[in-house]
Amino acid sequence: MEDLALLGFGPDGWGKVLVQAGLMTLAVSVAAFVVGLALGTLIAWGRVSGGGMARALAHGYTAVMRGVPEILVIYLFYFGGRQVVTAVGTALGFPGPFDISGFMAGMLAIGLISGANQAEVLRGAWQAVPKGTIEAGRVVGMSRFTLFRRVIAPQALVTALPGLGNQWQSVIKESALVSVTGLVETMRQVSVAAGTTQEHFLFYAAGAAIYLAITTLSDQLFRLAERHSLRGHQQGGM
Amino acid sequence: MTDTSKTVLSIAGLRKSFGANEVLRGIDLAASDGDVISMIGASGSGKSTLLRCIPMLEIPDAGTVGVGEDRVSPRGGRLTRAEEATVRRMRCQLGFVFQNFNLWPHRTVLENVIEAPLFVQGRARSEAVDEAMALLDKVGLAAKRDAYPAHLSGGQQQRVAIARALAQHPRAILFDEPTSALDPELVGEVLKVIRSLAEEGRTMLIVTHEMGFAREVSSRVVFLHQGHIEEDGTPAEVFGAPKSERARAFLASHFDRNRQG
Ligand SMILES: Nc1ncnc2c1ncn2[C@@H]1O[C@H](COP(=O)(O)OP(=O)(O)OP(=O)(O)O)[C@@H](O)[C@H]1O
Ligand SMILES: [Mg+2]
Repeated sequence: MEDLALLGFGPDGWGKVLVQAGLMTLAVSVAAFVVGLALGTLIAWGRVSGGGMARALAHGYTAVMRGVPEILVIYLFYFGGRQVVTAVGTALGFPGPFDISGFMAGMLAIGLISGANQAEVLRGAWQAVPKGTIEAGRVVGMSRFTLFRRVIAPQALVTALPGLGNQWQSVIKESALVSVTGLVETMRQVSVAAGTTQEHFLFYAAGAAIYLAITTLSDQLFRLAERHSLRGHQQGGM
Repeated sequence: MTDTSKTVLSIAGLRKSFGANEVLRGIDLAASDGDVISMIGASGSGKSTLLRCIPMLEIPDAGTVGVGEDRVSPRGGRLTRAEEATVRRMRCQLGFVFQNFNLWPHRTVLENVIEAPLFVQGRARSEAVDEAMALLDKVGLAAKRDAYPAHLSGGQQQRVAIARALAQHPRAILFDEPTSALDPELVGEVLKVIRSLAEEGRTMLIVTHEMGFAREVSSRVVFLHQGHIEEDGTPAEVFGAPKSERARAFLASHFDRNRQG
């Protein structure tokens, strides 16, 4: 099997770069997911307990992000973002050249898209927090922030975990789109390898295996987290 | 027990409507240190609304609520920033016990009790834990310190809720039908705890349908009817010789029902 040697770690093998590419996929995805979680929390906050202005902004943002193709947002950030950075940088009198890395643009773009989706998950979970437990927090004198941190967020997170798990899977798959910026993540690396060796089937299959490995593993992690967070919640647990 | 030297809780001219439904139509009520006031009245007469207006869980349309040295008179159904700060100070001096317990399900029994001391009042953990354990011991649940609320009976949950209220070092404790959500066989254990608090001289305002209990523990009984206080007197006065026809009818129907049940 000379073919499989191509995937190995020998001198002709692509093993090492594939592993690196897998790690890059993981890195972009984690960064994007965290950006999305922070943003999603903010948007959910705006939609649930913000004033009219915050509510409208959050609503508008969600509508835009859900209605525009992901690939367009990435282009917008990578190419468009470069233009903006250059314009702003020049205006401020900094010497060029200006650049936005593929990692930065991709992470931000996917994070912003994911933020809109995560906000929907979080909003649903927030509204499912039993009203009485919130009143119990208010009545002992908790500030808004303490109430959120100590009463609302921990309970909402339990409800949100399965939905957030789905969002994480989407982020991993969307991260393949970042390959258009030239960032050497899994998708990019396997197409380079496939083109170079003309072993298309082998390398794209290897790519699929890498994505599957990441998604399966993280699915297990989310399940563990869910089980842990449910302790004490329902009689008999789950 | 009634020592009129010190007013702990005061309500004056309190009004509250939900839409066109005028629920509280000018309530005046004050509690002095050590008063145990039972509030009775038909379903829908506004008892819960009145109780919830004290820590501003419902914001009244008019009137003044005072706790200790703090008082607010919200207007237009909302609180200003300054009023919000006052209300938080007032809440820190009150304990509130809900009909449905409302324990935090994601925290253990002990964590429920130390939550506000740690995260609102900023007390030291070791001190808060020691005190919480003493309170749990008092309500007979020290052994359940690490259990989650879902694994407790209703009566146990309500006793934890009372310990949580006591951890506030409250000047007054408000109870909204603390035994109404309980199976009949669990009512006694909760009433016993409340009775012991009355014996300690705690100031309490208790909404209840347990007439026998009200008669026994209260220093004063208040009868609410359609958003008005119709009777206000000692248990002997209100239960023995109610002045208003409506109170008489309410009590008659209530004792009838109790006898049948
Ligand atoms: N949040 C609310 N929104 C609208 N109407 C309300 C609200 N809370 C209470 N009400 C109405 O106010 C009236 C008084 O309710 P409240 O709960 O204070 O009565 P109650 O005396 O506690 O009755 P019960 O003995 O059944 O607990 C009722 O007509 C009720 O429908
Ligand atoms: Mg009620």
